[in-house]
Order: sequence, then C-alpha cells, then structure tokens
Amino acid sequence: MKLKLNIPLTITLILLSLFVFIPMISAFEFSLRTPGKGGYGWDQYLWAIREEDFLYYIIRSGWLAALTVVITLVVLVPTMTWLHLSKSTIRPLVDGISLLPLVIPVVAFAVGAQISFPEFVQNSVLELPFLYFVLALPYAYRTLDIGLNSIPLKTLTEAARSAGANWLRTIITVIIPVIKSAVVGTVAITFALSLGEYTLTVLLHWDTFPTWVTFVAQENILGAIAISMMSLVIPFLVLTAVTLVAPERSTQGRK
Amino acid sequence: MSSKNLILRNVSKRFGNVVALDNFDLEVGVGELVALLGPSGCGKTTALRVVAGLEHQDAGSVLVGDRDISQTPAHKRNMGMVFQAYSLFPNLTVEENVAFGLQMRKVSKHLRLKKAHELLDLVGLDSQSKRYTHQLSGGQQQRVALARALAFEPEILLLDEPLSALDAQVRVNLREEIRRLQLSLGTTTLFVTHDQEEAMAISDRVGVMNNGVLEQIDTPDALYNKPASSFVASFVGTMNRIPAQITDGMVEIFGSKVVALKRGNETGKVHALIRPESITVVAQSGQSNAKVLTRSFMGASSNIVCQTPDGTIVQSLMTSTSTGDLLPGSEVQLQLLSKEVLVTNA
Repeated sequence: MKLKLNIPLTITLILLSLFVFIPMISAFEFSLRTPGKGGYGWDQYLWAIREEDFLYYIIRSGWLAALTVVITLVVLVPTMTWLHLSKSTIRPLVDGISLLPLVIPVVAFAVGAQISFPEFVQNSVLELPFLYFVLALPYAYRTLDIGLNSIPLKTLTEAARSAGANWLRTIITVIIPVIKSAVVGTVAITFALSLGEYTLTVLLHWDTFPTWVTFVAQENILGAIAISMMSLVIPFLVLTAVTLVAPERSTQGRK
Repeated sequence: MSSKNLILRNVSKRFGNVVALDNFDLEVGVGELVALLGPSGCGKTTALRVVAGLEHQDAGSVLVGDRDISQTPAHKRNMGMVFQAYSLFPNLTVEENVAFGLQMRKVSKHLRLKKAHELLDLVGLDSQSKRYTHQLSGGQQQRVALARALAFEPEILLLDEPLSALDAQVRVNLREEIRRLQLSLGTTTLFVTHDQEEAMAISDRVGVMNNGVLEQIDTPDALYNKPASSFVASFVGTMNRIPAQITDGMVEIFGSKVVALKRGNETGKVHALIRPESITVVAQSGQSNAKVLTRSFMGASSNIVCQTPDGTIVQSLMTSTSTGDLLPGSEVQLQLLSKEVLVTNA
C-alpha cells in the first residue's frame, strides 16, 4: 500500500517532536559532560547510582505513585460506571468538580489539607497518594470518561448481570477489559503525575524523588540531570509493563 | 436445571408520569414460548426487564415456579437473555462469551468450554469458537448471544427484540432456529417483539399489549381470527373497517346480510372488521359496487385496493391467478366470503 504523505500533519509532527525531544537530548548531552576532563562520559550516572538515597527515593516515589493509581481506579471506575449508567442529573456537576484541581492553586490545596486533615493523617506519608489522586483527577476522569463513552456500557453490563455476574465481577471481568486502553491511559497519567509531583510534596514537608533531585541539584547540577534522565525511563518501563500485562485485543469493527 | 413457569402478578411500573405497566398479569407455562407484541411504548420491554431484574417494579410480584423473585437481584435470577444490540463482550472470544455465564457460576474451565462447544454446535458456529465477536456477521453474533443465554441452562429465556437489527432473510432463518432450539431444550421463553409476523410465526401464544396492559393473550390463530378488541383487530394483521348498520343482530356488507359478532354493546352505526382474505373482488361493470385503485403483485397472492362509492377504502387479498383483469380504474363487485363479521362501535 502506498503511504500518502500528509504534509501539514508531517510538519506539525516534526515541529512537535523537536519541541519535545530537543530539550531532552540537550539535557542528556549536558549530563554526559565531564567538567575538568573534557569530552563525554558516564561519570554522573555512576555517581547517581552510587548515591545511597537514589534507590530509597525512587522506590518511595514508586510505591506512592502505585498506590495513587490503585486509589484512582478503585474510586473512579465504579463511580463513573454508575454515573454513566444512571443518567443521573448530577453527572454535569461531577464533570465540573473533577476540573477543580486545575483551577485551585496547589498552595491553596496544600494549606487546605494542612488545616483540615487530622494530625495522624498529616503524620503519615500515606496522605500523599490521596492528594495526588485529587491532582490527577482532571486527567484520569477525562480519560476514563472517553473510554466509557466509546462502549455500549448499558447493554454490556446488563448482559453480564443477566448471565450471573454481580456488580464487582461485571466491573472487573467486563468493563475494565473492554475499556482497557482508557484504563492504561489513566494508569500512565496518574503514575507519571504522582512520580513527578513536587510542589504539594514540598509544601507538606515530605521528601520524595523529585524533592531529593532538587536537593542534589544544589551541589551537583550535572548529577541531578543524570538522575532526572534515569527517572524518565521509569514511567516508560511502567507503561510497557502495563501494556504487556494486558495484551491488546482488537475491538475494531468487522474485518 | 429444568425450566419453570413464569408468573407476573399485578405488576405496575411508572417512569415519572408515564405508566409503563398497569396491574400487568401474565403467565408463561413450562416450556412455552410466549411473545409480547405491541407498539412502541406499550410496556412490553419493561415487562421483560422487570422479569430479568433489570428494572424494579413499583408494585406486584414476579414468580418463577413457586419462588417469588421480586426482590432477587438480576445476577441471581438464572435467566438467559438475548438483547437487540448483540451485547457480546468484545474482549472475549466466541467460546469465552458462551462460557461466561458458567464462569460466573464457578464451573471448571474444562466443563464450561465443553458446554460452550455443545451450544456452539447447536447454533452451527463451533468452527468459529476461537474468533472474536467483531469478526462475525450480525446473524452469527446473535447466534452466539443465544448460545450464551442458553449455556448455563436458565430457568427462563428472555428475548428482547433479538432479530430487529438483522437483515430480512437472516431474521427468518434465525427465528426458526430460536424456535427449534427452544422446543428441543424445552426452555420457558418470553419473547418481546414489535414485529407481528415474527411473533405469530414462532410463538405458542402471543400477548398483545397496549398502554401497559395486556389486551389479549391467545394462540396466533385465535388472535388473528377472534380478536378480543378493536385494537387487537387492527394491530394484528390488516383489517378493513367498513361502516355498517346493525339491524336485528345482522349487518349488510356489500349487499349481503351477515351475522354481527359483538364484542360489547354495539348498536346502530358500527364498523365491520373484515380481513382482506375474506373479501373477493370480481370484475363486473354492470353491478359494480367499487372501483380498483391499485393492484400489488406479491407472488402467489395480490393485494387489491378498492374504493366504494361512499369513499371507504377496502383491501382484498386474492390469489394472483384470479386478479389478472383487475386493473386500476376498473369497475368491480366486492363480495364477502364469511357468514359473520366482527363489529365495533363506529
């Protein structure tokens, strides 16, 4: 089959790629420099790996992000399924509420959390995943919304229920697999957003990978960039893992 | 699990101000296929969904055998259901779809796949078992949906306009197949449709619904020949409504006096309800009482539409061989073949 070249689309894609990749390539080039010796080397990467805190913070941020993903899916998938099925008049209201994290400044959000949360919650790092969930809500909500809008949700759930599936099994065995690409998108967005969240974490006086990178950058900027480059690989690996765990099954029209 | 009888007792359901079911009663015998027929919005689908547990009735009860399932959630009712939109799970293969109900009942993988293959064999799709549903045609998908609904041996089979989305020829084939399967498995079946031909063709009994109530439930033959109300008479099949006058229990139609079969207290001016096949048209210019408007050739039979001098439109269904000279515009004589006619108030 001859591939037709869509010139405006190709130009847009090239410009967009340049916009995304030039800073990354530049940062990578910068992180490979070896001051004093000249030329390039892996010195900064070796230094980062040898830093004992590197692994500690990457694991800490990793499980916090993973927990955020779990909270997001457990709260959002059943709630949104119910909203879509019930034809409820509160759906536009919930749509609006889900956008609030975009307009409320993080500083106000952090202060609000500090004032309203009881002390035992504030003393636990477990408060972060719940707050990250709120920050990721606008993106996670819209991604799942698109997924649920694209399937005959009512008929599928009724078919599953009449065949003997209760609500939980209907969600797990039918809805989530059918909107898999939306779920994978939600997982990726929420994980990446939680892993890189900085402002709220600092304001609440917690240390995670992004705050540690900032700390390291104060004494070794090249090392900090090397660490950031390595941290870019993690969401990529997570995305690949999620996609592999749930193999793609075509749900296209008849061929 | 063997089939049970199904009883709906005084079931009422409203959606806001709209009454979908009004003290609705229905009984479907063991192994019987009953169709609910009616115009859009008559409540037939609501009745089916109440039986399935997908809608909850405001009042009344639903019984399967001697068990009251009015409060039982849908997934515990053990009813197989086939929907209008195929409703197959796109993430599962054909055999996995059919085995889904058994998987929910925690049947071992070996047994449920065996059962799935048995059912797929019954609907002639065993060779497609490893394919995904989007790779099948509409008719094949609905066969899979039927196999899925029957795989876990439901007490009741519910069919919600399962043929509506299919092509004409596929519809005819699949409805015969549904009937064949239903008879061989002996499954009590409730079938909702707006297509009277479908309902009449495969049902033991047909219930005609209007405004949330059952107007009449009877065998297709009785429903067609002895409609209980004017609504049933005009909804089932084609019915001529010819103005007439009752005198001494008789009405005069096309010059001949016949017995008036009353449904209520019809007197004076009435409408005689006459099927097209009960009227014959004879080309006769001398003593004509009507004029041919159109003649539609339909193969073995032809539909002749005539107009009487008072403007009444009359349809006649005759064998095509005897309609050759009934050309549009020609003067004809209408004759009534039956000795009695149903009458309804004008």
